[in-house]
Amino acid sequence: MSEQSTIHAETAADSVASPAKQKKERKRPVGFYVAGSWLSIVVIAAIFGPLLPLPAWDESFYDFLGARPGTSGHFLGTTQDGYDMLAGLVNGAKISASVSFVAVLLGGGIGSFIGVTSAYFRGKFDVIVTSIFNVMLSIPNLVLSLALLSVLAYSDADNPATTTRRVMVLMLSLTLVIIPILGRIARASTLQWAGREFVLASKSMGTKDFTIIRKHILPNVAPAILAIGFLAIGSVIIVEGSLSILGIGVPGGASWGSMLANGRGNIAFSPHEVYMPSLCIAFTVISSNWFGDYVRRKLDLREAKI
Amino acid sequence: MDILRLLAKRIVGMAVIVTTATFLLACLVWLLPGNPAALLVAGSGTPEIIAELERELHLDRGILGYWWNWYSNLLTGDFGYYFLNGGRRPLSEVISATLPVTLQLIMYAQIVALSAAVPLGLISAYKENGRFDRIVSSTLFTLVSFPGFALALIMSLVFAVQLGWVDPIGYTPPSENLGEHLRLMILPVLSIAVGLTSSYTRLLRTDVIATLKDDYVTMAASKGISDRRILWRHVFRPSSTTLLTSAALNMGGLIGGTIVIETIFVIPGMGYEVFYSIGARQVIAMQTLIALISFGYVFFNSLIDILTNIIDPRTRERRV
Repeated sequence: MSEQSTIHAETAADSVASPAKQKKERKRPVGFYVAGSWLSIVVIAAIFGPLLPLPAWDESFYDFLGARPGTSGHFLGTTQDGYDMLAGLVNGAKISASVSFVAVLLGGGIGSFIGVTSAYFRGKFDVIVTSIFNVMLSIPNLVLSLALLSVLAYSDADNPATTTRRVMVLMLSLTLVIIPILGRIARASTLQWAGREFVLASKSMGTKDFTIIRKHILPNVAPAILAIGFLAIGSVIIVEGSLSILGIGVPGGASWGSMLANGRGNIAFSPHEVYMPSLCIAFTVISSNWFGDYVRRKLDLREAKI
Repeated sequence: MDILRLLAKRIVGMAVIVTTATFLLACLVWLLPGNPAALLVAGSGTPEIIAELERELHLDRGILGYWWNWYSNLLTGDFGYYFLNGGRRPLSEVISATLPVTLQLIMYAQIVALSAAVPLGLISAYKENGRFDRIVSSTLFTLVSFPGFALALIMSLVFAVQLGWVDPIGYTPPSENLGEHLRLMILPVLSIAVGLTSSYTRLLRTDVIATLKDDYVTMAASKGISDRRILWRHVFRPSSTTLLTSAALNMGGLIGGTIVIETIFVIPGMGYEVFYSIGARQVIAMQTLIALISFGYVFFNSLIDILTNIIDPRTRERRV
């Protein structure tokens, strides 16, 4: 549905644009391919990682402790504990990508739903939603996820935290952090559109509220949410890494942040343990931010034409 | 009168937000599986001590009783304690020792970021879309997305471990040895400042480009005033309001944002204390520190909002 309407919006914009400009827009900037291919590599590694002919990420090779990159059999080297770096990075992609993707998708979905409906219906519901968002946003997002995690990921001798449980808890906390961020954007953006004439016209024809939201509001609000959604993926990956460094993220080197946290102590002997996951995190954040910026620029262009 | 009304509204709003946020924090601690009091004195606690502590913290009076006791103490300046090996350390003591360190770090980072961003922003706006502008813009875009901790680790790898120019971790108070203090602060400050510089430069660049199109700039140029003087005297000042607002708004967020950097470089600031309190399961300390960080964040944001309202009346109608 949203696809259909986006196409609508695009054709409307195209008819206003001059042919020269159209041609220019077709040509995508270099960054599009660079960022796009890095993100594709990450996604492919995350999905098909287990099929690759790699050793298990948590299998220790005692003959290769802290091997340099380029060692035969361990292309990117090993950690001081003998874990294969490449296998670790591929597995890290799976955990980091799925954590951030799930958190943003789920949090963004819930947040957008709340934001759009509250801005559309206004009234008491809107007041309550806005104040809850404000309270949640009054705590910096790293601090909020820190507080959530330290409680939710609580473990002792009776209920030890497995990696799976920590990952689930991490996803849940980050989802909660994302909800108000994207919710507020969705709300602000809906406010802009809900007062437009075509919405009023549709209302006066007796269209149901949720049909209006689906057909007229969502397609227009979607690009703004998408732009911030990309930025949110970047910041979730950063938060995941930060939490690992603070020792309460995913344990045992399963995610990029966790590899970084484990390798930090060995920085003097095997620097590749630090810079490889660092660069993976950095590239992913830069790429998703680039896409966020790209979508926003396109959006500005469209707004300007309208 | 208008200002007073606005002020009252803001203060009430602030109080509501802070009260709700602290309540949610207290709920989180309340929801911890097991007994918070037993956690606090883990290792040294006999059942009597735990029961005593439960009464003292009002943990036996339900969530509301617990929250109110903690929150009202907090407001009167009683921040609670670290419970360590049977002893106690007042948090007010801890905070008065660590807050100045964090503020130093933030101030240095702001100074470095602003003094780099002003010339970069001005020059790249002056030659808009020139070679300098394009190089600066794309470099800054990359740097603004570069996670602070990754930068911190890579810099300490290169400059501290491999080149040996500075020590990788540590902190010296300025009163003890100023040179050493500054040397140790270089890497942490840079890790924070690089991201800030990027966003400040972008803001200033946009504003300067807009100001340069104003009539009075053309007028000044036609009078034969040198470009340098126009840029500094006539363009920079009116363009700097967004930059300063954003710099001030960042203050609140930075107090929370320094947690990771302080942990990486082992700097005894507020952020490191948050990290420590979580690791040591000191839930009261954690709750208090997080609440204080949020206080700072909300306070700074509202303060800036009020100030911009007073300074620039145009912003008053902006809110829909």
